[in-house]
Amino acid sequence: MDAPLSPLGVGSHVPDFEINTYEPKTKGFGKFNLAAQKAGGRWSILFFYPADFTFV
Amino acid sequence: MVTVSNDTQFVHLAWHRSEKELAGVQFSMGADPTGKLGRMFGVYDDGSGLTLRGTFIINPQGQLMNSEVNFYNLGRNIDELMRKFKANLYLSKKTNEGCPSKWKDEGDATLTPGPEMVGRVHEALEAQKKTPAKV
Repeated sequence: MDAPLSPLGVGSHVPDFEINTYEPKTKGFGKFNLAAQKAGGRWSILFFYPADFTFV
Repeated sequence: MVTVSNDTQFVHLAWHRSEKELAGVQFSMGADPTGKLGRMFGVYDDGSGLTLRGTFIINPQGQLMNSEVNFYNLGRNIDELMRKFKANLYLSKKTNEGCPSKWKDEGDATLTPGPEMVGRVHEALEAQKKTPAKV
C-alpha cells in the first residue's frame, strides 16, 4: 500500500507500520512495530534525521 | 523512542560502531530505505532523497499528538522534546487540564479551561504560584 499523499496531521490516527532496526543495546537487528507498541500500552517517539555519518 | 533515516539497519550498525559520539546512544535505529515512513509523516524530501529533522509523538492509542519539523541545518532541542513528552503523559491522566508554555514537569502550574478563566489566565497562573498545585 502506498503512503497517503498528504502527511499526517496532529490528532490524526497513525496507520500501523513496521520497520527494521539496529539495536545498540543488544548489538543486533530487530523491528519497530507500531501495533506492538500500542498493544503494550507504550508511547512512541519517531526521531527522523537526514542521514547516517552526518551530525544529528 | 526510535530514530529513523533512509539508511538501512546495516549502515546504522556501521555508523554506531565507528562513531564514538554515538557510544552512549542506546535508542533503536530504524531503517526507512524507501522513504515510505518519511512520506507518511511529510518529512521525506524527494529532491535530495534525505529526510528532514522531524519529531513525532504517538500515544498508546496510535494518535499523533505532536509534530515538529526542522530544515536540515537546524538541530532540535531535546529538553523541549522531553518537556512535550512529559506534558503528554501528564495530560493523558489529567484530561481536563492544559499545560501552558512554561510548564516543565509535574507540579508546575496548569490551566483548567472554564468560563471563570476567560480573560483571567494571568490571575489563574499567579494564584497557582502562591498555592502550588497538588500532584
